[in-house]
Amino acid sequence: MSDKLLSGRLRHIFMLAALGAGFALFLVACGGDDDDSGGSNANVEVKETVAASDCGPKAGEKATGTPIKLGALATKQPGTDFSEIPRMTEAYFKCVNDNGGINGHPVDYVIETEQTDPGQAASQARKLIESEKVLGIAGSSSIIEADVNHKYYEQQGYYVIAAGIAPSAYGTSNISSVNMGPRYSSDGATQALIRKKVKKIVLVQSNVPGTEYIQEGPELITKAAGLPFEGLKENVPIQDANSVALKAVQAAGDDGGVVLNFTPPEALKILQAAQQQGLQDRVKWGCSTPCNTDFLAKALGDAWDGKLFVNAELNLITADAPDSNLYREVRKKYAPDIPLGSFSQMGFIMGRIATEALQGVKGEYTKDSVNKAFLDVKDFKTDILCGPWYYGKAPLHLPNNIDRTVTPQGGTMVENEDCFPISDVDPAIKQVREIEAKDPSLIGK
Amino acid sequence: MPSWDEFQPFIVTGLALGGVYALSGVGLVVLYRATGVLNLAFGAVGAMGALIAWELINNAGWDDYPAYLMCILFGGVVTLAYGLLFGPPLANRDPLVKATASLGLALILLGTMSWIWSDKARSMVLPTSNENFMVSDVLVNYTQVIGFAFGVVVTFATAAFLRYTGLGTAMRALANDREITATLGVPVRRVEAAAWLGSGLLAGVAGLLLSNLVGLDATTLTFLVISSLAAALIARLQSLVVTLVAGIVVGLVNALITPILSISEYRDMTPFVLAIVALLWLSRHREISISRSA
Repeated sequence: MSDKLLSGRLRHIFMLAALGAGFALFLVACGGDDDDSGGSNANVEVKETVAASDCGPKAGEKATGTPIKLGALATKQPGTDFSEIPRMTEAYFKCVNDNGGINGHPVDYVIETEQTDPGQAASQARKLIESEKVLGIAGSSSIIEADVNHKYYEQQGYYVIAAGIAPSAYGTSNISSVNMGPRYSSDGATQALIRKKVKKIVLVQSNVPGTEYIQEGPELITKAAGLPFEGLKENVPIQDANSVALKAVQAAGDDGGVVLNFTPPEALKILQAAQQQGLQDRVKWGCSTPCNTDFLAKALGDAWDGKLFVNAELNLITADAPDSNLYREVRKKYAPDIPLGSFSQMGFIMGRIATEALQGVKGEYTKDSVNKAFLDVKDFKTDILCGPWYYGKAPLHLPNNIDRTVTPQGGTMVENEDCFPISDVDPAIKQVREIEAKDPSLIGK
Repeated sequence: MPSWDEFQPFIVTGLALGGVYALSGVGLVVLYRATGVLNLAFGAVGAMGALIAWELINNAGWDDYPAYLMCILFGGVVTLAYGLLFGPPLANRDPLVKATASLGLALILLGTMSWIWSDKARSMVLPTSNENFMVSDVLVNYTQVIGFAFGVVVTFATAAFLRYTGLGTAMRALANDREITATLGVPVRRVEAAAWLGSGLLAGVAGLLLSNLVGLDATTLTFLVISSLAAALIARLQSLVVTLVAGIVVGLVNALITPILSISEYRDMTPFVLAIVALLWLSRHREISISRSA
């Protein structure tokens, strides 16, 4: 039997169309999420006198005691590499080890990576705890591990210090993050635009799972201010940035505000398209933390100076203050290949927090003593964060809930607004403020 | 539903993108007709050319125009090299095999770009993007004008080239029957090489324009070949004029759907929906015959 459905040429064309569709699907699968808080390799002059040896109690004296084994898990895959966060934590521990260690003990630090595969993330967590036998986890930054592993960590009695991404990194009892993630950062950008007297807020973000959760915060804050709100979602990678910019501006209307929640390359496409169509002055533009990179400020050029308001969860990388200066010194000496930027700042802070917590341990370093030390951290002050960082027993953890606003200026990001609290109209922030009010010692009050 | 005033700027963006889709589609069709290869690496070649131009301008201190030229030349050289290396061994294989082989080149280039340029935000603004004028209330920049005009000019210039020059006639002959053309003494390899080179140069031009009209991002630019591919398929990989019209329609429909919020997020389907509708329409009179032999 022979079936003859189509002539040869048309059949070839259909086959090629099918191949093209397969190619498209493949590229979508590959292209996906290239999240990046970016950074800059700019040489930043250290104005205040500081030496890398300041990270330990005994300058120049190597720690020789029994090592304290700590670990971290990070996402590392093509297009999405968060491993520079724990690598910066590792750099800080190296500095500590070279300068007396923690009560004489060096830190033995293990970094595992995963490729957003839940099974792999689960097995890497078990490897850290059951095979590597790490006493504590500090420096993790994985897209999925908070969702996948937080229950396992809870069962095992681990209190994790992380740079979070998934909602579980902020909404659980046993993970506390040094950053605040996309929802609360979008809240901050929305607040900044409302203060600039916009008449409507339009939030534009990637059309990926989880964006409804992010949209809730800015929507509540906008409506509480008595303004209309509209949420738009765009498929990434964006293929028609001019149209997306136009759509956002039309939706916002005259004197409106547009908040972007995208990775830097996608945000850049929209902002540049807006510039080419003369739209940068039609509305006020805001952006969540990923836009806070000098790389983006440089790519945007002078046309955007003072016209884009970016929420910044951490201090400027150029800040002249003790921890900021130490961060740059440690990076320069122990991890010069890691760019200056918010990722390495997060890694540095996590190393600082873990070190300071472990210095207070009396007696042997065990899983229990290490995790109790992490859990007991309160009122940890650093000039890289606006407010004190803390852990403490609580159903959720959002210690980073006070932010700045920065804006591009001459190819770099500069401060536009000093530290301000993220609005407690967002229910999670309200809950956190209640926790802080109940135990004011968490924030040094 | 948005008002007419609100639709107007989307016509401009749609025409500009549509012009470049058409330009790319013409590059794909000419190469397919001459060599039987549907080059799925077209977008990746343009993307890498644009990133090389960015690198030369920003880190090697080159002036803009030599760097743009390098982008276009890169497209030509890489595509020609691929054609010279893999064209002859694949010459007698099925078109599907040839297309799949070009996918290999796309993946190699995509991997190389990810390795060299990572995923940081970059931009390369053509001088023409900073020059603009008003049409009604819509701001139009010259890159958009060039995008559209180049698509139209390249289509008609290529059609004239194929019709009135010896090389063009040889390409058309190759498209009809490679074996007979060869026996008539046409230097097949040389004619195919010219098609590879021309298609590659168009890939470079498209990469340069799209890096401005869309963004300088390896994945995005590689991905954009899909819209051009749809235009070429609508033209059944034959007609340049239909490719031009289809490219512009794909760009326009895609842009005009954008402000209609209820369907806006589905607009990326536009190229394939149009291609499927067109192919079904074109095959509507074909008879289905089933024969059974003992």
